[in-house]
Amino acid sequence: MKVIDKSDFDVFVDNLIANDDREVVGVQEKDSKFAFETLQSADDLRLDYDVTILPPKKYFMPQRETLIEYNLDEGETTPVNRVVPRIILGIHPYDLVAIEQMDKVFEDTHEDPHYLEKRRKSVLVGVNMENVSDKSFAKTMGTATTDSGYDIMLTDIGDMYTIEVGSSKGSALLDKAGSAIDDVGPEEIKKVKQFKEELSEKFRTDPKFDPFELPSLLKEYYGKDQFWEKNSEDCLSCGTCNLVCPTCYCFDVQDINDISLSEGERMRTWDGCMLEAFAEVAGDENFREEKAARYRHRYMRKGRYMYNRFGDIACVGCGRCSEQCLPDIADPVDIFNQMKEGTS
Amino acid sequence: MKPKVAFFDFAGCEGDQLQVANLEERLLDLLEIVEIVNFREVISQKSDDYDIAFVEGSIATDHDAERLEEIRGNADILVALGSCAAIGGINSIRNSQDPEKVEERVYGEDADKVEAWDKAKAADAIVDVDHYIYGCPIDKDEFIHVVESLVQGKEPNIPTYPVCVECKMNENVCVFARNGGDKSISSAKREVQVPGSQEVEQGPFCLGPVTRAGCDAKCINEGTTCWGCRGLVDNPNQNAHKKVLDKYGLTVEEVLNKYNLYFGWQQEERKDE
Repeated sequence: MKVIDKSDFDVFVDNLIANDDREVVGVQEKDSKFAFETLQSADDLRLDYDVTILPPKKYFMPQRETLIEYNLDEGETTPVNRVVPRIILGIHPYDLVAIEQMDKVFEDTHEDPHYLEKRRKSVLVGVNMENVSDKSFAKTMGTATTDSGYDIMLTDIGDMYTIEVGSSKGSALLDKAGSAIDDVGPEEIKKVKQFKEELSEKFRTDPKFDPFELPSLLKEYYGKDQFWEKNSEDCLSCGTCNLVCPTCYCFDVQDINDISLSEGERMRTWDGCMLEAFAEVAGDENFREEKAARYRHRYMRKGRYMYNRFGDIACVGCGRCSEQCLPDIADPVDIFNQMKEGTS
Repeated sequence: MKPKVAFFDFAGCEGDQLQVANLEERLLDLLEIVEIVNFREVISQKSDDYDIAFVEGSIATDHDAERLEEIRGNADILVALGSCAAIGGINSIRNSQDPEKVEERVYGEDADKVEAWDKAKAADAIVDVDHYIYGCPIDKDEFIHVVESLVQGKEPNIPTYPVCVECKMNENVCVFARNGGDKSISSAKREVQVPGSQEVEQGPFCLGPVTRAGCDAKCINEGTTCWGCRGLVDNPNQNAHKKVLDKYGLTVEEVLNKYNLYFGWQQEERKDE
């Protein structure tokens, strides 16, 4: 473990913004909320944020992305992969865990160069949570802290940050801070320990389930139609819970032709299983026409299907779905608690 | 041979045709793939020989209906252009009001001379409509997408999901969460200044959760709110949306007023279902 004074850290960040070829992005205030955005100055960085509107997945899987460009007259296609190498500052542990899960998805069966190239050319600078959103249940999901997934990891211990190095990419980044980096002393190690103990008290206390119970609970609840109908009654089918989720990765692909009809591009855009047309196929069939079926699918996906395939519970407890759902029906804790209590 | 395209207008402001005229140099690109034979905002030529008809405006008189039927007879493909034609639009605000009072308010002493129906209707209340381009006004890119799709014999791709999708993708702070707003303020009404005016709204409100996307959440991106100009999604959960508006302090009357701005005709149709 290393340490850096906060004032030196700001200089370090400003130097990266000014001199590094990569784009420096970090968490900044947006109205009363927070978002990862391009950083103009270390002063704008808010490492004390609680949660961002969108997770940092947008940097590896942009909302809208061109996959190929084509020319219909010539019958030519050109692969496109617009990669912007980035230094991403201020990723919370639950989002780092989510990125590790996403890496598995995009490496599995078919390597996705669009995701992986962006991912490989990014440096992930994590930060331990100082403030916790009201809806976060990361502690329950075991993602309040993490030992992996970051290139470097910061912890705010007052007038300095401690730094854990997670990769050679991280260590190379730290080299740019030069002599500002010092070795950690016993006093600072004690402070990190204390920081994590205090953090553990900041999470909501209502979760009654253990994440490892979720696959079997969800299996048991799959056929309880009334349960899903009741809980999804107020669903707006707006996809917010999908779009803000750090482990949702579904996309739609469309060919967009230029007005000339000779050129065009194949675009992929974020999609979501809560949207009505998500499971619609040719011949006007829709496999999940009812909102209850879509609503159930999201939970199955988070707590069971992904676990069966990759061994991960695909909910990291960030609380974004719950916070941003207008009718307030997307809180996984509520659903999982109901299942644990045997509500039908 | 290039398909022949014609534009027609009924009760409306012709703002959607203006959007087409505003394509400017792209209009010339458009002429590479279609021939325009009727478009009074741009050309003086007129013809009854066309393949694709774009109709703008609500249908509000017997004469309108006859003319629309004639257009339908001439065209292979009929497209409702803009919210008035596609969903009844703002003309249908009056549908829930006393027609005599409305006519008197607008035309005064000449009210007797008006032969308008009691209700303004969408084009598909009179004839079959093949495609819809929503918006008040329409989005220029969506118009091009529809033309380009029709020329190629493809089904245009118009979103069936609500505006929230595009709004989230743009990472806007939700209208309901602006100014530090959170759900705990439900009991206290908040007053919201309407951007660019002196008007104060009981707020916050946003019709995005029940309004068809495709606009890229433009209004919310610019700091205002969604007024619902693209109409309701196919299966809006209005009960859930009303509960949300109620939670943020809007009265039933206020909610109905908001819905009436663009959803008037669609709501009547839904009642009949």
